[in-house]
Amino acid sequence: MKELIKQYLDRGLSRRRLVSGLSAFGLSTVAAKAVAQNLAPLGQGIGSGNAATASTAIRTIEGNGGKLFVEQLKAAGVEYIFFNPSTGDHPIFDALVDVPEIKLIKGVQEGAVVAMADGYARASGRTGVVIVANIGLPNAMTQMVNTWKDQIPLLVAVASVDQDALGRDQWQETDHHELMTEPITKWFWQAQSTEAIAETTRRGLKFASTPPCGPVFLSLPTNTLAQHAKTQIWDGSKFNVPMRIRPDKADVEKAARLLIEAKNPLLSIGDEITWCRADKELLELAELLGAPVAGEMSNLGYWSKPFPTRHPLFIGTLLRTMRFPGKPDVLLNLGNRWGEIAAPGTTLISIRLDPTSLARQAPVDLAMVADLKLAIADLTAAIRSMATASRLADIAEQRAARTRAYSAQMAELREAIGRGLADSTPISMERLGIELEKHLDRDTCYVADVDSGKTMDPLMAFGGDDKQYFGTGPNVLGWGMAAGFGVKLARPDVPVVSVVGDGSFLFSGPQPLWSMARYKAPVTVIVLNNHSYNNERNRIWNGAGRQFEAARDMTCYNGNPDVDFAKTADAFGVEGETVKEAAALADTFARARAAMVEGRPYLLDIHIKREGLGAVSQWYPPYSLAQQRTRKV
Amino acid sequence: MRALVLAHALAFALASTAAVTPSRAQQGADPLPAGDGHDLVAVACSQCHYLGTIAKIRDGAPGWRRYVDNMVLRGAQLTKPEIETVVAYLARNLGPGMNLPPAKPVALPDGPGKDLIAERCTLCHNLERVVAVKRERKAWPVIVADMVAQGAPVTTEEAKTIFDYLTANFGD
Ligand code: HEC
Ligand code: HEC
Ligand SMILES: Cc1ncc(C[n+]2csc(CCOP(=O)(O)OP(=O)(O)O)c2C)c(N)n1
Ligand SMILES: [Mg+2]
Repeated sequence: MKELIKQYLDRGLSRRRLVSGLSAFGLSTVAAKAVAQNLAPLGQGIGSGNAATASTAIRTIEGNGGKLFVEQLKAAGVEYIFFNPSTGDHPIFDALVDVPEIKLIKGVQEGAVVAMADGYARASGRTGVVIVANIGLPNAMTQMVNTWKDQIPLLVAVASVDQDALGRDQWQETDHHELMTEPITKWFWQAQSTEAIAETTRRGLKFASTPPCGPVFLSLPTNTLAQHAKTQIWDGSKFNVPMRIRPDKADVEKAARLLIEAKNPLLSIGDEITWCRADKELLELAELLGAPVAGEMSNLGYWSKPFPTRHPLFIGTLLRTMRFPGKPDVLLNLGNRWGEIAAPGTTLISIRLDPTSLARQAPVDLAMVADLKLAIADLTAAIRSMATASRLADIAEQRAARTRAYSAQMAELREAIGRGLADSTPISMERLGIELEKHLDRDTCYVADVDSGKTMDPLMAFGGDDKQYFGTGPNVLGWGMAAGFGVKLARPDVPVVSVVGDGSFLFSGPQPLWSMARYKAPVTVIVLNNHSYNNERNRIWNGAGRQFEAARDMTCYNGNPDVDFAKTADAFGVEGETVKEAAALADTFARARAAMVEGRPYLLDIHIKREGLGAVSQWYPPYSLAQQRTRKV
Repeated sequence: MRALVLAHALAFALASTAAVTPSRAQQGADPLPAGDGHDLVAVACSQCHYLGTIAKIRDGAPGWRRYVDNMVLRGAQLTKPEIETVVAYLARNLGPGMNLPPAKPVALPDGPGKDLIAERCTLCHNLERVVAVKRERKAWPVIVADMVAQGAPVTTEEAKTIFDYLTANFGD
């Protein structure tokens, strides 16, 4: 019987002969067919079409390109398609009429569509699937930059010009439009035929979700979507195979030894820990070593906070030179793109998911490409195997005492600073941070797309059992509201808050509110309205150029017109309110909470004090078009 | 510009904000005046950006404290006693009237208040900042009151002379 199966797998035997052969061994026909079916995914060759049809994991199906695309997505376990339609992609939506397993989520601007899918992917760990109009692709691309830089898996597809019409300068055709996505995708491809659509889709899904992940672009010519073909559909398990890499054992042991013997080790942490879901392993390693942990606290460049910010070992932002704990003799960089800081006297170990940016900025002494969850677990095990538990506890205690004292002192200092700035009108950023910390549930997903808002982050608790933080590394604004929607889709049972700047809101426009209203998404949107590109001005003026000297803010004041964001929300059927006094915040949060319970979005337009250089200025270069006229028309 | 950022390993905070990247020349020279606390400021305030702008700002102790507190929230590593040292240094060496940098000359129209403004309103910033743009007439008393709160050394009567002058000459 074994021999029969082997022959079948080696394709020396047809399926029919396998079944009859198995029956000869005494199996019932049903049982024999079941065996053949189970073997099919491995054994079926192109010639054994029957086997494929019978298989559940690999099937041959017939249909137009739209159907083949949808069936392949379904077989890969895709739950949602984020979309905005065009005429040419109708075969996809036609097919979806009969595929209830995939839910359609509509956005009314392509940037919002991508950011919804991106937020969903960050929160779920799954690939976001996006379909937008060919001509809307550039709108989508702005937000794809966030996805690209933060290495989030996304499949973006468009229906493109009919293959026969290519190169004829049709009214919506641009030559080789897929090329425009090149710098911000891992891979881009145009399906060459209807038959190729399923395979192209598989490849796209695979490339998007192979670490380091990222966006993939597919161009599906309208004729390939409309025409019929017969082709294979594969289950996700057959091509989205595990790609989690374990680091080399000898390297791990070397690192373990260095970390045990170090006098002043420091851990630098980054977003790859979040992506690999390695936060528990990280906590265990940090506590085992008693080493201080530095990473994201309030600066740009990161999208998550993988270590509890209130933990006694967390010392805040990773700086070029750390005054505390002083120069590390061993710096262990875990999944932090910005964490490789070389210095004479420091042994730099870097473990990264992304090999392309490993040892790219600084010379690394011991480099490992690995999945962070596996690598940290291995490292912890290696450390435990090299010293007794009591010796390790002694080492950790010696190291941790100093760090605990420092972090407690700094936490107290930050709180005192926050309290000192709490009573002002407009409301200070710090006061809002304090209030949010008080009013938000501990399991809240906190989605932030605001620049100067980062100074309130250190007054709140993130990571571990506290709020989970989602942002973007590159800070391509206009992401936050839509991403908040996507996070809620992935995690319907936890509270979601989206915090956006007035600038950020206007980059996306109110369009994400449309999807929140249509899909009854209980998301609290907070517009941190300082009537300014506040931190942009700080950076510009911090350059001490002419705008600083002459105190003329040529670019960043937004207060005229004074946009009423609550009114804007109202136009989309989303209730909202404007908050101008700190004393009103508690009641406001209570009303937002009630709306969440009822299952609807709620928007708070909170007027916030501008801070920093030139903050007082309300001037902007005056120009009146009305006055330019010679006729009153 | 990108290469420069990387060369200085500043990427953690500034790589994503192409707006301001210190040039080599800006980074090289120490723009801060000597004095007690200089070394602490030079180390603790140069981690994320260059010191040139700090050296061009003049402010009283409360103003400086606000900046420094803000930097601690952004991640500057200073303990409470060190903040006192830093604020004291900044207020002493870069306080009103101290080590004023050269400014673009600005001609003020004659009238009562002109000399007062030229003397008192240039202690923390240049005159250009004061009169570069016309402002709403009702804005001037508010601004002058603001400046007094910031630490501008003017009496109540002097303040009135000043905003009357500014309203008359630079009101819109
Ligand atoms: C103690 C220091 C100090 C003194 C003295 C001072 N100022 Fe200022 N002034 C400031 C600061 C700080 C700012 C805000 C600078 C910034 O944010 O860039 C400012 C800004 C201004 C602005 C710009 C406001 C805007 O809306 O853009 C004006 C106008 C001004 N000052 C006028 C005056 C006048 C008039 C006087 C004299 C009565 C004066 N200042 C004296 C510290 C001072
Ligand atoms: C952890 C990084 C960090 C450190 C350390 C730091 N700053 Fe800053 N500073 C910033 C950022 C971020 C900005 C915002 C503008 C920008 O990005 O350049 C800024 C801006 C400023 C400004 C312009 C005003 C404003 O609020 O934008 C001043 C003044 C300033 N810093 C002073 C200091 C002083 C004084 C120290 C030392 C006590 C210091 N900084 C240390 C990060 C830092
Ligand atoms: C799509 C996009 N366009 C432009 C920028 C440049 N930029 C960086 S910060 C900023 C202003 C942000 O204003 P706001 O969201 O109100 O935040 P604030 O600093 O006022 O808190 C701008 C325009 C950007 N980051 N993204
Ligand atoms: Mg703003």
